[in-house]
Amino acid sequence: MRASVARILGILVMVGVLLTPSSASFDQLGGVLSKVKKTADDAKKVVEVGQKLRSGFAEITEEEEYYIGRSVAAMILSKYPVYQNAPLTQYVNLVGNAVAVYSDRPEIYARYHFQVLDTEEVNALAAPGGLIFVSKGLLRRCQDEEMLGLILAHEIGHVAAKHGLQAIKKSRLTEVFTSLGMQAAQSYGPQELAQLTTMFEGVLSDIVEQLVERGYSRASEYEADGLAVTYGVRTGFDPKGIVRFLQTMVGDKSAASGKGWFKTHPTPEQRMTGLNKQIAALGDVPKVDDARTKRFDQAFNSLK
Amino acid sequence: MKKPRSLVILLTVLLVALAIAAADVLVVKIQATQLRKNPQFFAPTVAALKAGDKLEKVSEANGWIQVKTSAGLVGWVHSSAIETPKFVLTAANKDMKTQATASEVALAAKGFNKQVEDSYRAKHAEANFAAVDAMLLIKVSLAQIEDFLKKGLLGDFRGVK
Repeated sequence: MRASVARILGILVMVGVLLTPSSASFDQLGGVLSKVKKTADDAKKVVEVGQKLRSGFAEITEEEEYYIGRSVAAMILSKYPVYQNAPLTQYVNLVGNAVAVYSDRPEIYARYHFQVLDTEEVNALAAPGGLIFVSKGLLRRCQDEEMLGLILAHEIGHVAAKHGLQAIKKSRLTEVFTSLGMQAAQSYGPQELAQLTTMFEGVLSDIVEQLVERGYSRASEYEADGLAVTYGVRTGFDPKGIVRFLQTMVGDKSAASGKGWFKTHPTPEQRMTGLNKQIAALGDVPKVDDARTKRFDQAFNSLK
Repeated sequence: MKKPRSLVILLTVLLVALAIAAADVLVVKIQATQLRKNPQFFAPTVAALKAGDKLEKVSEANGWIQVKTSAGLVGWVHSSAIETPKFVLTAANKDMKTQATASEVALAAKGFNKQVEDSYRAKHAEANFAAVDAMLLIKVSLAQIEDFLKKGLLGDFRGVK
């Protein structure tokens, strides 16, 4: 009998240890306890806890997203040189971070960072984890802070909605999560590391292919446009800034042959129609402000 | 009847331990953030927080969570900076939906990490990580953002002349 008490004690301690770091509700804990009380046999089931594998892009951790984003950014930065203009880059970072504060995802693993690419191509790209790129060619088309703010809001929208991570093929993600679920070592052995690195390469190519080659889906683009208006208005920018920007692309041949922003399915006209409808429904929206346009002109002087 | 009594004591102790464990525990999921005095970005800082810091949930309002640190400090963090610990398992027993095991805790630290990046970098010399690191060094402080918003009459400072 003494042995059985010891056994129950052991089981209870074990259950306690198992539950300590969890955030299970009282109901669930109550359920666990009543079960443990019933019979010692049930305790066996406590030990037979299966490992639930992660599934889907939403379960990629914040830190993993950061590492994926770093590598995606490293690939983008191997294709395009950085435009060396510190004051302009600082201004773009201020505008971008101001919008990020009013986005649905203001806090991100290593914060938002914006870089200007030295190319006349009209393009903007958002790597997962909040590393956002705009081209010099795109900046040349901006006439005020609202236009730039809304474009950056669109890119922050892609990050907040995790559109980049959604490009990862489901089968690949399942493979990654399955592989990670197998072992519980603190660091990887050579074989496991090699296998994970191959999977990492696959994940990166899925994302880069979408970002650089194929473009986002129609639905993702419209969603990011919607988020741009929401975040832009919250920040206090005139949301029409994005419409005025798209207007510069209408009938532009470089838009048709471009990448990223302009290789996507909706045409600038289609996007403008959707945006105008959304903005009209908002009623009173912020207007362009002289103080902002003045500092924009100052920062962009060096570009012209 | 010594045995049932000792069992009752044991269960009581365990219940108390579980009640403590069951308080809403949250974990900081980003590199660094602040515990703020009010549920606003530009509120005064109560304390600095870093990835992995455990917090106890007190209340929530409009995307902000009021929390208590292990040091007993109370303040607000934005919901995008924290998460519920991920050590969630499907139990063999249906009555036990969520609990963690030691191996699950170990797994939580795994995934695509620096070790995987280093391995990738060794294979891909063309990937420009130097430029990524330089990009991460472009920093604007919260004070700079606040000043920028103020001067541009934006965000919390709209219409404030």
